[in-house]
Amino acid sequence: MKLLKIGISGVRGIVGETIVPELVMDFACAFGTYLDSKKVLIGRDTRVSGPMLLEATLAALISTGCDVLDLGICPTPVLQYMVKDFKAGGAVSITAGHNDLKWNALTFINQEGTYLNTFQGEEVLDIYHLGKFTKVSVDQLGRVKAADDYLDVYFKKLKTFLDSESIKKSNFKVVIDPCNGAGAKIIDAFGQNLGFELIPVNNEPNGYFPHDPEPRPRNAQEVASIMKVVEADVGFLLNSDVSRVSIVAENGETLSEEFTLPLIANYYLGKNPGTVITNLSSSRMIEDVAQKRKCPVIKAKVGQSYSIQIMINEEAVMAGEGSGSIAIPEFQQAFDGFLTMGLILEIMAVRKKRVSELVEELPRYHIVKEKIHCPSTRIHSVVNEVKKLFADRNIDSSDGIKIEDQDGWVHVRTSATEPMIRIIAEDISEDRARERAEEVLNFVSVRVK
Amino acid sequence: MRKATSLRISVSGVRGVVGESLTPQLVSKFAQAFGTYLGKGSVIVGQDSRQSGTMVKKAVLSGLLSVGCKPVEIGICPIPSIQVLTNQTKTIGAIAVTASHNPKEWNGLKFLDKEGLFLNYHQVEEFLDIYHQGEYSLVDVDKYKIPECETNPTELHLNKLLSYFNMSLIAEKKIKVALDCANGAGAVLAPTYLKALGCELVLLNCVPDGAFAHHPEPLPENIAELCRTVVENKADVGFVQDADADRLAVVNERGEPLGEEMTLALSTRYILSRAAGPVVINLSTSQAIDDIAEKFHVPVLRTRIGEINVVERILSQEEKPAIGGEGNGGVILPDIHPCRDSFTAMGLILEAMAVSGKTVSELQEEIPRYHMVKEKIEGTQEEAQRIIRLLKKKYEGQGDISLLDGLKIIFMDHWVHIRSSNTEPIIRLLVEAKSKEIAGKRARQWKKEISEISKWK
Repeated sequence: MKLLKIGISGVRGIVGETIVPELVMDFACAFGTYLDSKKVLIGRDTRVSGPMLLEATLAALISTGCDVLDLGICPTPVLQYMVKDFKAGGAVSITAGHNDLKWNALTFINQEGTYLNTFQGEEVLDIYHLGKFTKVSVDQLGRVKAADDYLDVYFKKLKTFLDSESIKKSNFKVVIDPCNGAGAKIIDAFGQNLGFELIPVNNEPNGYFPHDPEPRPRNAQEVASIMKVVEADVGFLLNSDVSRVSIVAENGETLSEEFTLPLIANYYLGKNPGTVITNLSSSRMIEDVAQKRKCPVIKAKVGQSYSIQIMINEEAVMAGEGSGSIAIPEFQQAFDGFLTMGLILEIMAVRKKRVSELVEELPRYHIVKEKIHCPSTRIHSVVNEVKKLFADRNIDSSDGIKIEDQDGWVHVRTSATEPMIRIIAEDISEDRARERAEEVLNFVSVRVK
Repeated sequence: MRKATSLRISVSGVRGVVGESLTPQLVSKFAQAFGTYLGKGSVIVGQDSRQSGTMVKKAVLSGLLSVGCKPVEIGICPIPSIQVLTNQTKTIGAIAVTASHNPKEWNGLKFLDKEGLFLNYHQVEEFLDIYHQGEYSLVDVDKYKIPECETNPTELHLNKLLSYFNMSLIAEKKIKVALDCANGAGAVLAPTYLKALGCELVLLNCVPDGAFAHHPEPLPENIAELCRTVVENKADVGFVQDADADRLAVVNERGEPLGEEMTLALSTRYILSRAAGPVVINLSTSQAIDDIAEKFHVPVLRTRIGEINVVERILSQEEKPAIGGEGNGGVILPDIHPCRDSFTAMGLILEAMAVSGKTVSELQEEIPRYHMVKEKIEGTQEEAQRIIRLLKKKYEGQGDISLLDGLKIIFMDHWVHIRSSNTEPIIRLLVEAKSKEIAGKRARQWKKEISEISKWK
């Protein structure tokens, strides 16, 4: 079984299996054909397969007449921010985010700097499937130019948006692990701009990841141990395109990535009350935090494209997912890891509290995440069968199946990136959370074979 | 039947029209097939100055990377320099992004082996089998290579040229050269090279931007500007290269184009005056070469059309050939590299001028006079074959017939060569005779005869 995931806002797969030059070119040609304004930005993370996808995408885009501004190795949120600044018609980000090195992907971004929404994505897919790409003659071929200096523009805006005076005065000592991804080296500029002392880990954009680029506790031990030695105030782990962040507290606790959203919401909703968008798989902490502020919570399907789409439609003040991603539309309509880290530092500075103290303010839940391989052909029928297990319960089937009660919930869904069923359960009690997950896992495991 | 007129896949590589047949997808598949054929290692990727060069090159890079090759990007570079670089460095082959002298809407790929030679028929067949089967050796990310750039790709070639020619003798003469690079790849090396030989330069179309100021084939009708420049600046000689700088045409000090056949004739005469050895040329090359070789008592060996055929014959010859080439201005000097090289041709002509103290028109006088008429007639390979079959039947026994490549018949007062082009959907008609009148008259007769046969269908 070869792995290829075609989503609304892009295509993701394993390099050498499904991610080959021709497929990349076909998608890039479809995107170039779709765009009205033929000026496109491109950026990539550090993956060793990046140059292959980059050259294929560039060849395809210029063959459709697009002029391309190449931002080089560039975190996706920075690329998204620059779309409007450069007055581009869209952008392509070459990154597989939290997936390991054998994966890579194209993500398509519209002229607002957001992931393509459902309608836009479907149009691009229609063009892809029809295979009718714009082919321009020699005189109309696009040109490729390299862009530099854009980081200054981005960080200047970020600095203005944050309470950077307070952050600077606090003289924080911060450990950041960008996992040799797109954040590598760029975190140096981040530190200089916000005026904290940076202790970088895995800060080499060399194409290889020292661990899975997924910000979560099991990858955070290195950061935690360095923090202890240097007595840092906070530690951050980033995914390969800086759209997700997980936090390590000053006391060495490697916080679940689920904490990132509620920690920020608890502060930000206090200043800017309004609707919050999250997804069905995220921890209940956000609901408790929002309820305390009397702010409504709306749940989207899992994925940046869905959350941001609803955030825009509902005029929400923020959106985020339990995977450690935050968007604040007042800054930009995109999950942004630099904004996320900046806000955590701002909270620490303004409220003069340590991370562990901020965590104490949140209700404690226990979340259990399981996944089980399932052939693509069977995946939907298996998930559907889970309904039988909960026939007498209230089922939310807007994205897979979610069963919720007073103390917790369980969410069963198909992975957007791999042929897998994900089971996420949460409860006040750790045992009960595990029981919720295992009940479904046992039911599913006999049916996937 | 629909005729595929905008894509040619042949022993000379792939050529197509950008915006029609030559898509990035097609290009990357050829690069993947070539990388699969070569195995793992460094592959040089060069380009001529065409505007579509970036698009095609990027497609090549992605294709090579996907099969685990390490592309070494060298940017705009003359073909002979790419060949020398490939031969002299640790690489497994090269891809040149070029459509040679085709108009600007065309581009294509030429494939070189690790010796810096174009793939021969057998190699091309094997490589095309891989392309057609679509079985490319895609690699996992752990076998991916980081691409490299080479910023001075012409250096090795330049050094070879400068050490071969008598620099001080040429420099002494302070020859004034009007140089027309046709906005092609030659512009990255030719001015530097000629300055190093002590020439005074008048530059024309020496920006390698592919905005071809004239048709990038160095035929007399395309170089009027150069002829004027020679006269206005009182230059001793005018040189014009084609877009990828493997071919050269010459203009004499009176501003008269010599005709591209003269480039090889002048070069051959000079080389044979210094050292003996067989001369290897293709079937279409002027009879003048035979006359020169006869004078120096060396044999002439004729091959099928296509640079690689001449080169293979040169390399397989027991007695080392002194020189080889094609009548289209492609001079091959095995001592520099077995490839067509406009820089070598310039060096030979400048050295011939310096050694003899003669002007170009005086050197020209020493070459037996022939007149060649070259015509292109629209037609597919299939039509060409039918025409050749019928003509062969008709003229059997009336002249000296060769079927080595198309149809060549040598008559008392002229010879005629009819073949289909490897690179474009056209039939080429060549007629050569001792006088302009006879050549013109015979060419008109042959053209009429061919067009009559075409109508019979």
